[in-house]
Amino acid sequence: MSRALGWLVVVGLVAGLVMGFGVAPREAAQGNVQRIMYLHVPSVLVAYLAFGVVLVASIAYLTTRREAADRIGHASAEVGVLFTGITIASGAIWGKPTWGTWWTWDARLTSVAVLFVMYLGYLLVRGMVDDRERAARYSAVVGIVAALDVPLVHFSVYWWRTLHQPPTMLKPGPSTMPGLFAATLMVNLAAFALVYVYLVTKRVRLLRREEEALA
Amino acid sequence: MPDNWSFVAAAYGLALVILGGYWRHLVRKERELDGKS
Repeated sequence: MSRALGWLVVVGLVAGLVMGFGVAPREAAQGNVQRIMYLHVPSVLVAYLAFGVVLVASIAYLTTRREAADRIGHASAEVGVLFTGITIASGAIWGKPTWGTWWTWDARLTSVAVLFVMYLGYLLVRGMVDDRERAARYSAVVGIVAALDVPLVHFSVYWWRTLHQPPTMLKPGPSTMPGLFAATLMVNLAAFALVYVYLVTKRVRLLRREEEALA
Repeated sequence: MPDNWSFVAAAYGLALVILGGYWRHLVRKERELDGKS
C-alpha cells in the first residue's frame, strides 16, 4: 500500500513538473518566474489541509482520548510545518524579482509567519512535556487555537491592504485564470496532496512503532 | 520582465531539499526501528 502510494506520488510530481515547465505557457507580465506559483499555491493549500486535519484530530483526541487521533494530529502538524516553510521560502524567492523585496511585514506574510511559529510551538510542546498523555492534551489545545489563524491568513488579503495578491484559488465566483494555468495548478495541487497523504501515513506508522518500542 | 530562471530553480530546489530531507529522516527512523525489532 505504502509502496504503491509512493509510486503514485512520484507519478504525480513528475506530471506536475511536466505541466509546470512543459505545458503551461510563459506568463506575459512576469515571465517564467511565475512558474513558482505551481509550487507556492499548492504548498499553502496543502498546509491549510494539514492544519485542518490537526484541528479535527485535536478535537477528536480531547473528546475520545484515542491515541490514534493524537498520532494523526502530530504527523499532520509536522508535514504542515514543512509545507508552510516551503510556502514562505518560495514566496520570498518569488517576491524578490516581482516585488523587489524578499520580505515585507504585510498582513498576508505576517499571518503566515505567525501560523508557522504557532505550529512549531505545537511541535515544541510535544517535545517539552515528558508525560505522553499531558503532551497530547496540551498540544491538542495548541492545535485548536492555532487553527484560528488559518482563516486569518486566507482572508487577510481582503481585510487589509496588502502587497500580496488576492487568492488564486478558494475564492468566490468563477476562476479568472486561463485554462492551462488553472489545470497546471490543479495537477500540482493533487500531487502535493498525495505527498501529504504519503508522508502523514508513513509518520503515523512510525509514531505507533516508536510507542510500541518504548512500551 | 526577465525570466529569472535562477529564482525558479532556487524555489524548486529548496522544496526538494525540504521534502526530500524529511522523507530521508523518516526512512532512517524506519530502519532504526527495523534494527531494534
